Amino acid sequence: MTTYIIQRLFIFFPMLLAISFLVYGGLELSPGDAVSHMISPELALSITAEQLEAMREAYGLNKSFLTRYWIWLTSMVQGDMGYSMAGGVAISEIMAKTVPATLELSLVALFFSTIIGCSLGVLSALKRGSATDNSLTVAGMAGVSIPEFFFGLVAILLFAIELQWLPVGGRLLPSYETVWDRIPNIVLPSLVLALMMTAGAMRYARSSMLDVLAREFITTARSKGMPEWRVNLLHGFRVALTPVVVLIGFRLPLLIGGSTIIEQVYQWPGIGNMFIRSVRGSDYPLVMTISLMYVFVVLTASLIIDVLTALIDPRVRLGKE
Amino acid sequence: MANSSLNRKFDQIKKREEEKTFSTNKRSRIVNKFLNNRLAVIGLIIFTIIVLASIFAPILSPYDPMRVDLRSMRQPPSFDHWFGTDSTGRDVFARVLYGGRVSIFIGLGSAILSAVVGIAVGCYAGYKGGWIDVIALRVSEIFMSFPQIILVLLLVSITGQSLFNLMAIFIVTGWGGMYRLARARMLSLREEEYVQALRSFGLSTFTICYKHMLPNALSPIMVNITLSTAMFILTEAGLSFLGLGVPLNIPTWGNILNVAQDILILQNYWWMWGPVGIVISVFVLCVNFIGDGLRDSTDPSQQG
Amino acid sequence: MLASSVFYSIGGNMKKLYVVIVAVLAHLMFISSASAQPTNSNQLSDPRVRQALCMAIDMKTIGETLFEDQIIMADSLLPNGPYKSPNLPDYSYNPEKARQLLAEANWDSNRELDMVFYYGDQLTTDFMAAIQAYFADVGVKMTYRLLQGDVGAQLNSVPEDGVNGPAAVDYDLGYGARAAIAMQEYYNSFKTGLNPQTPGDPKMDALIEKINSSADPEVLKPYFFEIQEYQMEKANICPLYYQKLFIYESDKVSRNGEMYGNDQYNYDWKIENWKVDGGVLQTNTGPIEFFEQPWYNLGIWIHSKVVFDRLLVADGGLVPTGCSACESYDLAPDGMSLTFKLRDGLTWHDGDDFTVEDVAWSIRTAIKAPRIHSVVVNTVNSIKGAEAFKNGSTDDVAGIKYSIADRTITLEMATLDPNILTTFSQFAILPKHKLGDVDPNQLQQSDFWQMPVGSGPFKVTEVKMNDFAKLVPFDNYHGGKAGFDIIAYPSFDGDGNLIKNAAAGKMDYGFTKNVADVAALDAMANMSTKAVDIPYTRMMWIMQYPKP
Repeated sequence: MTTYIIQRLFIFFPMLLAISFLVYGGLELSPGDAVSHMISPELALSITAEQLEAMREAYGLNKSFLTRYWIWLTSMVQGDMGYSMAGGVAISEIMAKTVPATLELSLVALFFSTIIGCSLGVLSALKRGSATDNSLTVAGMAGVSIPEFFFGLVAILLFAIELQWLPVGGRLLPSYETVWDRIPNIVLPSLVLALMMTAGAMRYARSSMLDVLAREFITTARSKGMPEWRVNLLHGFRVALTPVVVLIGFRLPLLIGGSTIIEQVYQWPGIGNMFIRSVRGSDYPLVMTISLMYVFVVLTASLIIDVLTALIDPRVRLGKE
Repeated sequence: MANSSLNRKFDQIKKREEEKTFSTNKRSRIVNKFLNNRLAVIGLIIFTIIVLASIFAPILSPYDPMRVDLRSMRQPPSFDHWFGTDSTGRDVFARVLYGGRVSIFIGLGSAILSAVVGIAVGCYAGYKGGWIDVIALRVSEIFMSFPQIILVLLLVSITGQSLFNLMAIFIVTGWGGMYRLARARMLSLREEEYVQALRSFGLSTFTICYKHMLPNALSPIMVNITLSTAMFILTEAGLSFLGLGVPLNIPTWGNILNVAQDILILQNYWWMWGPVGIVISVFVLCVNFIGDGLRDSTDPSQQG
Repeated sequence: MLASSVFYSIGGNMKKLYVVIVAVLAHLMFISSASAQPTNSNQLSDPRVRQALCMAIDMKTIGETLFEDQIIMADSLLPNGPYKSPNLPDYSYNPEKARQLLAEANWDSNRELDMVFYYGDQLTTDFMAAIQAYFADVGVKMTYRLLQGDVGAQLNSVPEDGVNGPAAVDYDLGYGARAAIAMQEYYNSFKTGLNPQTPGDPKMDALIEKINSSADPEVLKPYFFEIQEYQMEKANICPLYYQKLFIYESDKVSRNGEMYGNDQYNYDWKIENWKVDGGVLQTNTGPIEFFEQPWYNLGIWIHSKVVFDRLLVADGGLVPTGCSACESYDLAPDGMSLTFKLRDGLTWHDGDDFTVEDVAWSIRTAIKAPRIHSVVVNTVNSIKGAEAFKNGSTDDVAGIKYSIADRTITLEMATLDPNILTTFSQFAILPKHKLGDVDPNQLQQSDFWQMPVGSGPFKVTEVKMNDFAKLVPFDNYHGGKAGFDIIAYPSFDGDGNLIKNAAAGKMDYGFTKNVADVAALDAMANMSTKAVDIPYTRMMWIMQYPKP
């Protein structure tokens, strides 16, 4: 087992390094740099070539590609993420503000989708083949079939503008003092995001419940004359939902990436929002840090999954990947 | 020479075998099971209708989707304009039909092409093993270590927006899943007796791999293609919302739906976004039903 | 690129001479041929083709439909007003004439023109689709695309040979705008060697020199007439429409009789006298990661307008009218020296004294810093000794003299700048004690912009980046203390959030140029909009150089 983990880790860091180089190189190939994005086209004629050159020099953009990558890499290794080009803000500071916002949104959405998905999935399994089962399946599928921005906008129109029950977007207001004040802001984005996740959880819960219901100990419990609801509750759910919950936990990396569009719709100041802004502005240091953070999360999650699967199922062995 | 005659012989055996399997109940059970899944059948029917409507758009609508008529802008649905007109007086029905051509082309085209790439690499690397396998595996891991939307956003900003670039990006980001699937299949099939037998007859790797082993892995591949199609169509729409999709002068479902961003239009001109929103959602839903139906009918471990 | 620098460097005299000689030669060649002819291999260099393109677009219909009747037809680069020539050629919609001109010019109907633009919104795309349809109607094929990446370079790179080309960029037509606070700004970029689309022309150069020759509007007026007529006869650009600015306010806000004006810049709006029900004014243009320094986008951001103060004020049309931070000022009759005397007792928000040293430091920094508005650049570069200071040969600017005790500062000019007062009505003074040791090239990178300190009517007290910024009244503002707070959200003109926020009651004041927003705002019971004429011309650029 230990060798397995060490071997995975042995791949982990070279992967990160290779990806960082590829992303940096890709950004280098993309048209325009941070300086060109700071000049609005309307005012571009008023800036001379010398001024642009001076700015590039000040930002270190006229050094060679490899030099810049090396500088970036060495400072990153030392834990210095550098500064955003647009405004010189320390990237660690930007991350410290945006990551919690995204985590907050994602975790709440995960919570909702797990609760809704699991209960509907179990319901579906218990009423297998019935109209309820079918309509739940259709509803779950519909959730993943509607373009999420469209769904988000319609929700805004209904609940924020027409009914005025909930705020249109944003996360904080000056008047907010406690966590309770912030709840109305998170309801819409997290529910819309959760809806996108529900179908998966539901499908998994349903099939794993069906699986369990067919197992022997359930039959035994039933044969002992235990009432049906107790059988389901005590034995079925517990066994069926354990793998579901584990699975959903590992979907977190997806959820972090998946909130990008919803953050945009709901003016949520999270990491996805910042990523889009930095990509548009060719703010390399910021783009690099955020993409590597995504990669880190995904790789770590898959490492943990690998290790756990190996622990649970001894048939998974190294070399047979 | 000897090899090619051998090849022919095995082709004949395979053909006979296929004919036989068709007549016995292995294939037909899959088809039957699919047909028994009511949702999958409904999905397939609606899917076909939408695809055909897009292909035969010029017959269904007399309007040119690009034809601007400023004096008749934002007209509600009428006998002349079934889905009304948009802000420049273009016929929304025609735009949805023609937009479907582009969106379906992007979705299905990228899904099929990424499957082709993934399978080609996966089968070969999976069967051959060695350094090719190691490299392919690492490359696919690199692409799969990003959340999909993030990687797409990054690549769009690097390559710039165009229809071609978008499809290329979808393929680059989408082949990994298929590759792993095909590879895993190959790894397990490789050890099967019939493959060992073929090998002992001296058939070339290529032939064994693509002609004799691949068909046995076809059903999960089909499932994967349908699910990728659905995902790509939704991603195209999402990208156009972020202003990073297909250039706005090409009508796609995403680009047409994008007008919903304007709250005034969302509130007052439902026909400019409603029909196309429904068409995208229904289309993706149908593709998902088909994928689901395929999975249930081919995968014995998934019951229900 | 090379040529564009010529006019800014003293060492470029030889190059300048070369450019002039080339220009004169080219001009002689141009005159020797008939005037309505292409001047190079590009058919768009034929004035008849350009005139035809201008006449092919039915701006009136487009204005009434797409733009909801909210635009003003344009017939030259200059906005309507005292400088507008009465003798401009008529390029209003005339498809027959357009077809006829194209036939005369032997227009190659197989050629597909490539139109570029840089606004990503739906309305612009619809507008492009409409122009495409009108062009098709007269037999001209056109496709359009949104520029991405380094938009400035793709749009504005100037050919090395400023007369014969070839072009340094690859489009045929471009859609964009020119916003100006000084009328000269519209034409200065047509100087030989400075324009990406229009080849240099000695007559144009001479006219440009004339419109920059005086600070007296009456002297300049005939020159502006002349340059307008000359440019429009050649149809070097197609003016499409004049953009209005729309100021919106919720019913909680009353300006209390104070004026409305060009809200993209700074004017005498006396925000400290406004009345706001509930005591909180919600607006957009709040900071995202940082507060933007106020010398480039002079008044787009709310903090640029209210956190900082300026020496002078202008009226709603941006004509300088009097003092803000100054007690008095004196411009020499020949325009070559300007003296300010500061008010007594001015302080920064943190309590430090606001002195002429801050003013001098701000000007010195603006000479060296990049990303400064062109009108400000012209002014600070015209100060005596600015050039030497900029290239590092001196540590101080010879033309800036001040006395802290007398609260006076005098600027001596090397060359006349007709817009010097406009500059000081827009140029925010920044605190030396906070920013003194910053590298001018990295001005924006300073920590200062996380929580800037100014001397304007509002000070920043709370910032949650990307959520909101809270500004509260400054007790010691010379115009008096405002009676309300400002909350600024990080949303912008045209990002789609404005209407959502306004509909939800999260927006009390702001401005937009998007007519689709105006229609939506007007439909809301609690919001009202007010249209303001601003000097902002939307036009179509026409590439006359041969293809690269």
